[in-house]
Amino acid sequence: MTLAKTNVDLLQGTLDLLILRTLLPGPQHGWGISQRIQQTSEDVLRVNQGSLYPALHRLEAEGWIDAEWGASENNRKAKFYRLTRSGRKRLEEETAMWERLAAAVARVLETA
Amino acid sequence: MRPLRRLRVALRALLKPRRVEQELDTELRLHLEMETERHLRAGASPEDARRAALVSFGGVDRVKEECRDSWGVRLLETLAQDARYGLRNLRRNPGFTAVVVLTLGLGIGANTAVFSVVRGVLLRPLPYARGHELVALRQAAPRAGIEDLGFSVKEVQDYRERSRTLEDVVEYHSMNFTLLGGKEPQRVRTGVVSARFFDLLGVKPLLGRSFREGEDEVGAEPTLVLSHSYWQQKLGGDPGVVGRTFEMNDKVHTVVGVLPPLPGYPDENDVYMPASACPFRSRASTRENRQARMLNAFARVKSGVPLEQARVELASITERLRGEYPDAYPKDADPRAVASLVQEEMVARARPTFLVLLGTVALVLLIACANVANLSLARLSDRGRELAVRAALGAGRRRLLRQLLTESTILALLGGALGLLVAGLALEALVGFAARFTPRAGEVRIDGAVLAFTLGMAVLTGLVVGTLPGLPAFERLARTLGGEGRMTAGRSRQRLRSALVVSQLALSFMLLIGAALMLRSFAKLQQVDAGFRTENVLTLTLDLNWAKHTNPEGRLDRERVLGVIEPLWERVRNLPGVVTAGSAWTFPLNSAWRNDGTFMVEGRHDEAQPLPTADFLGASPDYFEAIGVPVLRGRVFDAHDRGEAEPVALVSRGLARRHWADGDPVGRRISFDRGKSWRTVVGVVGDVRQTGLAQEPKDTVYLPFLQFPGFSSSLFVRTVVDPRTVAEQARAQLRALEPDAAVSNVRTLEEVKSEALSSPRLTTVLLGLFAALALAISAAGLSGVLAYSVSQRTREIGIRIALGAAPGRVVAMLLGQGLLAAAVGLGLGLVGAIGLSRVISGLLFGVEPTDPLCFVGSALVLSVVALVACFLPARRATVIDPMLALRTE
Repeated sequence: MTLAKTNVDLLQGTLDLLILRTLLPGPQHGWGISQRIQQTSEDVLRVNQGSLYPALHRLEAEGWIDAEWGASENNRKAKFYRLTRSGRKRLEEETAMWERLAAAVARVLETA
Repeated sequence: MRPLRRLRVALRALLKPRRVEQELDTELRLHLEMETERHLRAGASPEDARRAALVSFGGVDRVKEECRDSWGVRLLETLAQDARYGLRNLRRNPGFTAVVVLTLGLGIGANTAVFSVVRGVLLRPLPYARGHELVALRQAAPRAGIEDLGFSVKEVQDYRERSRTLEDVVEYHSMNFTLLGGKEPQRVRTGVVSARFFDLLGVKPLLGRSFREGEDEVGAEPTLVLSHSYWQQKLGGDPGVVGRTFEMNDKVHTVVGVLPPLPGYPDENDVYMPASACPFRSRASTRENRQARMLNAFARVKSGVPLEQARVELASITERLRGEYPDAYPKDADPRAVASLVQEEMVARARPTFLVLLGTVALVLLIACANVANLSLARLSDRGRELAVRAALGAGRRRLLRQLLTESTILALLGGALGLLVAGLALEALVGFAARFTPRAGEVRIDGAVLAFTLGMAVLTGLVVGTLPGLPAFERLARTLGGEGRMTAGRSRQRLRSALVVSQLALSFMLLIGAALMLRSFAKLQQVDAGFRTENVLTLTLDLNWAKHTNPEGRLDRERVLGVIEPLWERVRNLPGVVTAGSAWTFPLNSAWRNDGTFMVEGRHDEAQPLPTADFLGASPDYFEAIGVPVLRGRVFDAHDRGEAEPVALVSRGLARRHWADGDPVGRRISFDRGKSWRTVVGVVGDVRQTGLAQEPKDTVYLPFLQFPGFSSSLFVRTVVDPRTVAEQARAQLRALEPDAAVSNVRTLEEVKSEALSSPRLTTVLLGLFAALALAISAAGLSGVLAYSVSQRTREIGIRIALGAAPGRVVAMLLGQGLLAAAVGLGLGLVGAIGLSRVISGLLFGVEPTDPLCFVGSALVLSVVALVACFLPARRATVIDPMLALRTE
């Protein structure tokens, strides 16, 4: 699902987690989300921008994010995504899951 | 929540595709523009910036496609495609479609109709507030064999005051009174209740109010509450009826309210009055006498208190009362209060019948399903190539399976719609049927739950019917494609089809046995000797105005009552065509009649034993001749058995045999007051089934009507002409004698008996119809399978004929195949029927649920039908032209 120059393949579902986390501070449109992910990961994670949209639409259908139309920074019609209450819950679950996974991997790496 | 949202997203995409596509376009375009601008800002040329944006985005069309996938449209689209394709397919086979929809429609319709009754009667909560807490209290005297002794006014008070588990205890009894103030005197069934009766039930009146606190106390203004049906039928639904007055029992009653439609429970009462307004209930002697037991009682168990706890408490209160008033609770009768849930009381009689019916229609639907699956299988064989081509063109196995399922679901939904129509048409008749078993029949309707049930039934049917033929078909699909597997596929399918037919036959056999048992039971019931002769007897119920026929103490004035009835006998007897006329307290086969008590045989009392019980019935001298009860010994009453003449009684044959070894009690004496006074038995008459054909005749003591006349009594007129022709004349004579008397239940004794037989007759007819339907469907299935088998074996049969097999041999071979299926079906059905025999036993009279005659008879019917069903396709095989047959492959 993702191709990044830095060879970090995003695990299945990780993109969802990243999107949800990015939306936590406030509503954002698709391009904004892709920029945020790229910037905050200091360019390590480069989301293949196209694959962002099917994920956004899927999350919307699941009810974790809501969409509404608004004006972009350059004053054009843009679709803004917003975290819903169940999305917030989902984010917490996914984050916890991710942390457990990361910790487990780290432990394996340390002891092996 | 989430599936709903997904469906909404998908539906939106499906229904407004242009709008949704446009939005997607806008969204993606914006992204590309912003990305391009970013590159521009970094110093790239417009062309490079644009390309870089597109590269980092990936293929736009692929992204769009993936987005569409995440809306879930694809699923809906294929579903719609399947449905369109399926509908086209069904339209192309109108015969198949019609047969399937009709079969499923009848099956689902029968289920819907019966379920709507079961739902209305057995499943829906009572139409009272917190109906599950309501209990009916009875006082039984188990040692005397009396189920319902009744409560006295004192006892109701005691239980009300002493109980901690019951919220309230209210009294109830029902009597017939004459209501004056309408066009003609009317006999009204009157519920006589505590003021709080309707509050206890939680019933809010439709108009006006219900009774107020204190209105049931002696001296209160007499009031009336009308039942909904009486208000509608007799008062035309007059909205201004509240405040109107009617005269009853010499008192002016003011209507204070009208009830909403309610089940006719505890009785089908026309009107209700407070306890104090009843002349019998409010007499001081009734109120003060702990043994004047004439009341029923109802109560509400406090919320959260288990019924068992209330029962234990009732027993302990009875125990205390026994200690305080030993005379009122004699050991040999052992009266005790028992409680049962109202919701169970109301449907106790309906439950077994409707559960059997529900089981029956479920089996019918199963048979219908098997038949449709069978038809689909046959069609699948014809469609083998079509499906194979679709598979070759890339349709996945799942997709093809789904196609079949979609088709069968469409068929089942169409069947469900037809079924709803069938149920709607049948409902009225079914409600009338249910009304014979339960007062709750009025609550039956097709509501949301019934619709949901029908939909569920249809979908389930579609799944079953769609999956059954689908499974083996696909296992063989590859071989069909290869061309060499035709025989194998055919044979596997044939096996499945045979299995389906065998199960149809087995289920049909079970239903046939059920119907046969009901039929035999009904025949037995019809042949029962009720103890009287029904031909040429007219009967009517006659109610005298209580107020005009009482003495100053408020008791029945014997001479005044007889002053009407004796001349009536005389006048009716003189009508042309009349043989004789007589009266009794009630008419025979009256299921509502109950008048039992204890008696003592002179010189035969054992203190340790409970007193024997008998039914008591007042009868006039000519009653026995009028309804044709034989006099076996001694004499019947005569005109001298009146007033203060020597007290006499007649007894029934059963009672005489039970208590006198030689069966001859004439001249012996019996007592009803534990020996304080005695009555001489002067005759023995035949046993009469007083309360119903299925009930064994009870021991009965007859008392002279001339000594114990009643305000309400039944008149019997034996004629030599059609008894209906004298009805009007008899009424005219009565009107001339006593204009205030109300007449009801004018019928012939034939009609009385026919009425008593009507519920079992209807149950029998219904079960018979369902069994016939099942048999017809199964026969069609059997015939179809055999016909198919013949068509598959054309070549083989052609060779046999070419080699000189006689047509008879061929027919015998094919018949053998069909009859083998029938035999296996019979065997399985037999096992099933024996297994289920307990279920139906509650509905049977005089027949064992494993009655061999019914089993053999049903097996014969099934075999004959199977033979006929096989014969038609088998005969067709004999005309196969060997040359043609060989050329077909």
